[in-house]
Amino acid sequence: MKTRLLVISMMLVLGAALTGCATSGDLEKVQAQQNLINAKAEQALQDAQAAKAAADAAKVKADDATARADNAEKAAAEREKIAEEKAKRADAAFQKSMRK
Amino acid sequence: MCRIAKLPLLTNGLRFVALCTFIASLNGCAVMKNFQEPGHPESEIKRSTFPVAGGEDVVGRLAVIKLEEGDTLPDIARHFGLGVNAISAANPGVDVWVPEAGERITLPLSFILPDAPRKGIVINQATMRLFQFKGDSPSLVVSTYPVGVGTEERPTPMGQTRVARKAPRPTWHVPASIAEDHRKKGDILPAEVPPGPENPLGEYALYLSKTGYLIHGTNKPASIGLRATNGCMRLYPENISMLYKDTPVNTPVLIVNQPYLIGQRDGVLYLEAHTPFEGSGAGDLEKIDAKLRSIEKQSARTLDWKKVKEVQAEARGIPVPIFEMGQGYNEDVKPIKVEHPETLYGRPALPELKLEAWYVLAADVREEIDARRLAAIINHQGPPIPARVLSKNNGYRVVAGPFDGISAAKEAAKRLKIDLDIDGIVIEPVKQI
Repeated sequence: MKTRLLVISMMLVLGAALTGCATSGDLEKVQAQQNLINAKAEQALQDAQAAKAAADAAKVKADDATARADNAEKAAAEREKIAEEKAKRADAAFQKSMRK
Repeated sequence: MCRIAKLPLLTNGLRFVALCTFIASLNGCAVMKNFQEPGHPESEIKRSTFPVAGGEDVVGRLAVIKLEEGDTLPDIARHFGLGVNAISAANPGVDVWVPEAGERITLPLSFILPDAPRKGIVINQATMRLFQFKGDSPSLVVSTYPVGVGTEERPTPMGQTRVARKAPRPTWHVPASIAEDHRKKGDILPAEVPPGPENPLGEYALYLSKTGYLIHGTNKPASIGLRATNGCMRLYPENISMLYKDTPVNTPVLIVNQPYLIGQRDGVLYLEAHTPFEGSGAGDLEKIDAKLRSIEKQSARTLDWKKVKEVQAEARGIPVPIFEMGQGYNEDVKPIKVEHPETLYGRPALPELKLEAWYVLAADVREEIDARRLAAIINHQGPPIPARVLSKNNGYRVVAGPFDGISAAKEAAKRLKIDLDIDGIVIEPVKQI
């Protein structure tokens, strides 16, 4: 009976020892995987931040371009208006000069 | 040896035949036909005299012309017997003085006759056109010329009158009111101006029975088609000479103001709209709409009122087909393409620059277009003052001249000041060593 108990105990100890070895290997593997994932996450985060920064910069540029285009349009309209007014004034002066 | 020498000739010949075939095949294409449609020589274009068929109210035909560098609308207008009002209205958005070369413009050479008896002379103030009827139906002929009419302050009187007398090379007896206007501007006029380039009556005058009013020529041809007179009606020099010859004393003259005209030709009803003078127009519009409603009722068909309103609002002075009245509808109403004449009749001449001459600096501007416009306006004064644009480092100068002496230059500077409010600077001749 004692012998049987001893054998069972030894087997349990051996099993436990063996189990302990397997857990430590797995842990290293998991840690390595975690590290990889972390690295990837870091990279992804950096990429996302970079993309956001680029998008923000592009938006700023686009807004700037829109503002410039608006200004250019306004300036062109203003120039056109001035040119039309000049032409009108010149025409009015001409018509006046045509009187007797 | 002989064969070798002839081979290139043969090849060139084949190439030539191939090219001709290619061009001939292109001619067959509708697109090319359209593109290559030749313009008519301007001599073929009817400008002023038209037969009037019984029951018809529309004469002439629209034309189009491609502008060339240096053209102005007043020059084109005069060459084709049009007023500056008519050519401007027909071509909205086109710069009168500096139009773009290559631009195609409409020559409004089609007219609806005024709603008046076809006898003697009828002047429609709103369209600024005179109609002279000759002969009787069925051989009735109308000659039509553009006119300049009275200003808003001194309008041309309306109604019936007649030619009381005629005079070639008339003397202008300056009315007190005009002398006073000039005096205010610092221009003292003599009591009378003899015939010559300074005389605003030009070479011929028809004195109307309505005292003080004349149909006459002008020394300011660019004013034809403007409201610029003191109530008289002025014509281009080339038109007044024809009218003078054709008009006996006692010819009836009827002056009307009809900005909206309707008339028919070849079974089609046309509407022609002009911008009415200030303070008028609403009544005329009501009258013409009532007429159109009556026509609509008689024909028992619906008029395209949207189109009618468009024509009235655009006021381009062109007869526009609005309604098919019956059989005989003529679809061939495309404007005639006119070749640009080599020279435009009456275009102000620009003498060559001379170092030993006097000049007047009229303006110093940044934009070329402003300089060109001003030079054109000065060139079209009456009598003309030659002016050109000279470019400089950072802008353009408008220089009037050449003048033979200091007095001519000073006189030009004075006219620029009085007529155009320009402070010109007299420039001495270049001293040659």
